[in-house]
Amino acid sequence: MLKPISRKTNKALLTKLLAGIGGLLAAAISLGYSLYEKRQAEIIPQVAIATPVDAGRWKVSLNGGVTGGEMPNGSHITPGKQAIAIDMVLENLSVESANSYRHLIKLQNIPDAPMPQFYLMRDKDILWDMQPMMPEVVKAVWQVPADLSLPKELRVMVEGETFKPRDNLYAAPGWFPSGSVAQVALPLAPAPAAEARP
Amino acid sequence: MRIVFLIIMIVLSTVVLATLQATTPPYAMLTGPIMTDGRQGETVAATTFSAQIKQVQKAKTLAWDQFGRAVERQSSGTWVIVSAELQAMRETMPVRGATIIGMSGRLYHQSQRAQAAPNVLSAKTVQPGLPTTGIFIFEIPEEETRNMVLVLSRQYGPQLEDELHITLEQNGLVSRGRLEIGKNGP
Repeated sequence: MLKPISRKTNKALLTKLLAGIGGLLAAAISLGYSLYEKRQAEIIPQVAIATPVDAGRWKVSLNGGVTGGEMPNGSHITPGKQAIAIDMVLENLSVESANSYRHLIKLQNIPDAPMPQFYLMRDKDILWDMQPMMPEVVKAVWQVPADLSLPKELRVMVEGETFKPRDNLYAAPGWFPSGSVAQVALPLAPAPAAEARP
Repeated sequence: MRIVFLIIMIVLSTVVLATLQATTPPYAMLTGPIMTDGRQGETVAATTFSAQIKQVQKAKTLAWDQFGRAVERQSSGTWVIVSAELQAMRETMPVRGATIIGMSGRLYHQSQRAQAAPNVLSAKTVQPGLPTTGIFIFEIPEEETRNMVLVLSRQYGPQLEDELHITLEQNGLVSRGRLEIGKNGP
């Protein structure tokens, strides 16, 4: 009569022990993975000027920063503002025409930087869709307050995007932000001559 | 014996569930477009609209007059200009979604750089009973201009709406250096 009971308690103990070990293991793996991910996220490679950066959906090489000057399409800058522009070569690596390059580049050392306006230098006009496999020379312009003292060197972060064939909500294909992929230090030079006009 | 039966049942049900999950069509496909296929030259008709492709041309440079000012647009690839006649069946509708599927399968939407050109179809609305002619303008790399398929719809990313897939002819593809677009098309 005693024997079966003791076997039962033994079994129950073993089950509890196994469940406990499993739980601890799961917690340890999860913690380790999140630590690893955080460490990985902190290491963002520093890239030289004019080096192509693969940001998933876009390939971009930043060629230099310019302060002052006018908008490339000839329109005037809002009074009380000044322009910071970055020259770049941009290519759409995805399989479809797209215009979601607005979040590609972040200025690190300009406080409250607005969204940039992109210009296609071929037309000297506003840039719309970028066609796949057709790299273009593009200028991104930020309008910041005129009294803001600008740094000598612009620190720029390139933000990546990654493709999911099935997203978590609708199981539909789409592009999703995947964090920063590169940082570039761009010297800021004043715009050539154009401003000298009275 | 019972254990073996249980294991077999578990494995079997896992296989069945995995098959069901893998073959479930995604939401995007279930609510996707209703496709109609056709070829250049013939009238390709869906329930809400139809299209007939008259001519496909290639050009290195596009030129037109905008408010009396000459405008020129160059391309690193080539411009593809598709002349079409559209007809609406039931109600007044625009045909804003126009895409070319290139040789590699990449999707090229109409070029926004040439949207100000005269006679562009996506700027028009199509009235039932009144055939509307005009052009679609695309900018695509030279090597993508073989085996092109034109995709037309009311707007981009149609859901449970008509979409025409029209295979473009390669024999009649005229290539020019410079193409002037006038009031009545190229």
